[in-house]
Amino acid sequence: MNTRGQRILLWTAPPAVALFALAYLVFPVFSPPLSPTLTPDQVAAFFRGNVTGILGVAILGNLIACSLVPLFAVTAVQISRAATSSTVLTYAYVICVGIGTTAFILADYCWGMAAFRPERDPQLTSLLNDMAWFFFIAPVGTIMVQNLCFALSVYLDERPDPIFPRWVAHFNVATVVLLAPSAFSILYKTGPLAWNGPLSFTLRLTTFAVYIAVMFWALLRAVRYQGDDRVVLA
Amino acid sequence: MTNVAEGVTPGVDNSRPDDSRRGHVPGDSSMWFFVIGDLVIFGVYFVGYMYFRGQNHELFLQSQARLNLDIGAINTVMLLTSSLFVALGTEAARAGNRVAALQRFWIALAFGAAFPLLKMFEWIPEICSGLTPGTNLFFMYYYVMTGMHLCHVALGLVIMCFILRNLRTSKAPKISFVETGATYWHMVDVLWLVLFALLYLMR
Amino acid sequence: MSGSVAEVPKAPAPSAEHATSWRKNRKLDQWIAFWSVPFFFNLFGLVFVPLSWMMPPRSPSSSTPHIVDFMHSHNLLIACVILTLAYGLAPVSNACYLMQVKRMSVSPAFRYSMMIGAITGAIVGMLFPMFCFGLGAFRPGYNSGVLTMLYDFGYLAFIGSLGCFCVMWMAFGLAIILDENGILPKWLGYYTIWQYVTELMAAPVWIVKTGPFAWNGLMTFWFAMTLYVSWQIIVYVCIYRAIKNQPEAELDNASPELRPEAVELRSGTSA
Repeated sequence: MNTRGQRILLWTAPPAVALFALAYLVFPVFSPPLSPTLTPDQVAAFFRGNVTGILGVAILGNLIACSLVPLFAVTAVQISRAATSSTVLTYAYVICVGIGTTAFILADYCWGMAAFRPERDPQLTSLLNDMAWFFFIAPVGTIMVQNLCFALSVYLDERPDPIFPRWVAHFNVATVVLLAPSAFSILYKTGPLAWNGPLSFTLRLTTFAVYIAVMFWALLRAVRYQGDDRVVLA
Repeated sequence: MTNVAEGVTPGVDNSRPDDSRRGHVPGDSSMWFFVIGDLVIFGVYFVGYMYFRGQNHELFLQSQARLNLDIGAINTVMLLTSSLFVALGTEAARAGNRVAALQRFWIALAFGAAFPLLKMFEWIPEICSGLTPGTNLFFMYYYVMTGMHLCHVALGLVIMCFILRNLRTSKAPKISFVETGATYWHMVDVLWLVLFALLYLMR
Repeated sequence: MSGSVAEVPKAPAPSAEHATSWRKNRKLDQWIAFWSVPFFFNLFGLVFVPLSWMMPPRSPSSSTPHIVDFMHSHNLLIACVILTLAYGLAPVSNACYLMQVKRMSVSPAFRYSMMIGAITGAIVGMLFPMFCFGLGAFRPGYNSGVLTMLYDFGYLAFIGSLGCFCVMWMAFGLAIILDENGILPKWLGYYTIWQYVTELMAAPVWIVKTGPFAWNGLMTFWFAMTLYVSWQIIVYVCIYRAIKNQPEAELDNASPELRPEAVELRSGTSA
């Protein structure tokens, strides 16, 4: 029983992360993050003036949107190894990831659309920008639930030799708390909870980045020690 | 981790013994399928490029003049050299000379890795000075074709790393895997030669 | 390919040996799923082409009156209705890939990756763009800027949906290439890598509005479609063969006398 497939898929994650980091750093919309208080005319002017940068990242984002999926898929496999009564947590996890990536792609679409025809009515460009921001920042619900599913699988695991150290589960629960504020971004245009604020934006993205790094390490370790363990094929 | 050498490696046909005296097709036949298909796909791009170049001769000529011919030429030399060492390395592997094979593949990797690096030095100044894919049809073709090629180079470098690991760690290196990787890398090289001629040189 | 799949759930066919024998087929679930695929694809084709003339795609640089005219077409609403009824068959067509990947010796992680890509793709690549067209026709009186936006959204989402399919084809291709059970031919794995490449080839549609790289362009639409459609046909031919050749002992519902073999056959799977 070899784990080569999992390892190959896991190792697609570092290049994916590098590309996401590149996209983040180069994206005019994020550096600094556009303020929700901009008027439609200001937003339209911004998009007209940054077509190359915005389109470039929107296309890159579209292409790499699902590039972390293999890492989540390996996580799902490891969840299914836990000695629980069923594979319900695995299925829930997989569906959550699907929904989460959908939201991310829609955000890319909206930014791409805004830059595709910058001469659009400023009201529409502003609407597209709003949509993009909210699709990007706000839908934390599925990430929260998927992390809870993962944590549960660790807590409920009855195996004598646990797949993951317990702190990884605690960490996942912590991410749930840290990601939650972003859901409130639709209520505010200024302050820490606005889409460009330290809680909804900075904390959310930092948490997610650290989360990917920690999970990558934890999964590599889990796969390495998997040995001949048979996986319940969900 | 230990089963990589003994187990089946991707795209490798283990059923045939490695017998070069029998005149077998080097490497895996599926890789040849991929190579030929890839050449066809690029071929369609080349034909399309030529057609539209004919339609917009002035525009293409002017745009071509803005390309960085120096880096293009250096990159060509890099890839050719890399291919040379891949061929030499394959020969050494076939002869069972593992040390020489390893050395040559390391050199091939170094030259190959220079390609994407130099490309960045070519692309980034171009983009910053406003020459983007959206600028005109020539530049769209330029970025799309060299971009697709760059993805192929990246994949080729990854394959080369696997070849190096295979040569280093296994007791009996899989020659057909080495040949498969070499075939792929030579294809990448041939594609670049055509691209270089079409995009940079042709007047 | 007859439309016999539509008759399957109804009352028993007239009493002929031939008619009842297919109901005893051990792989009936797989065959029903399989034959839904040409039905769905043909329906898709009919809806998009002769019904609504959404495809072949109109130009991104169409004049505004043309766009407005098109978006007001009543046929878009009908297309929307039919597709929202039928789009549940897209998961079935994806499940046909998954059921073969499950037989391969590779990790379930490949299957999950494909599933996730398929979930995402059905929304951003089919449902969402479909509704953008439908919305345009729903309420006359939207100003032309709004209709143009919906028009852009519809076509860009259909033709420019890239990442979700990137992961599906990468996982599918890798799975076929790494598979030691030989479920699907290796060259198909490489061909699937080209499917991945067609996604990269389609990226320029987000940038230009005219020429061969626009969403109706020679390179990004016609050439990419040629590769895409031929792959779809070939992959389903290969899946047909794979279903046909699957030994009965390997089936989940294999009869008990074949069981001991079934356990051995399926032990060649990996984590």
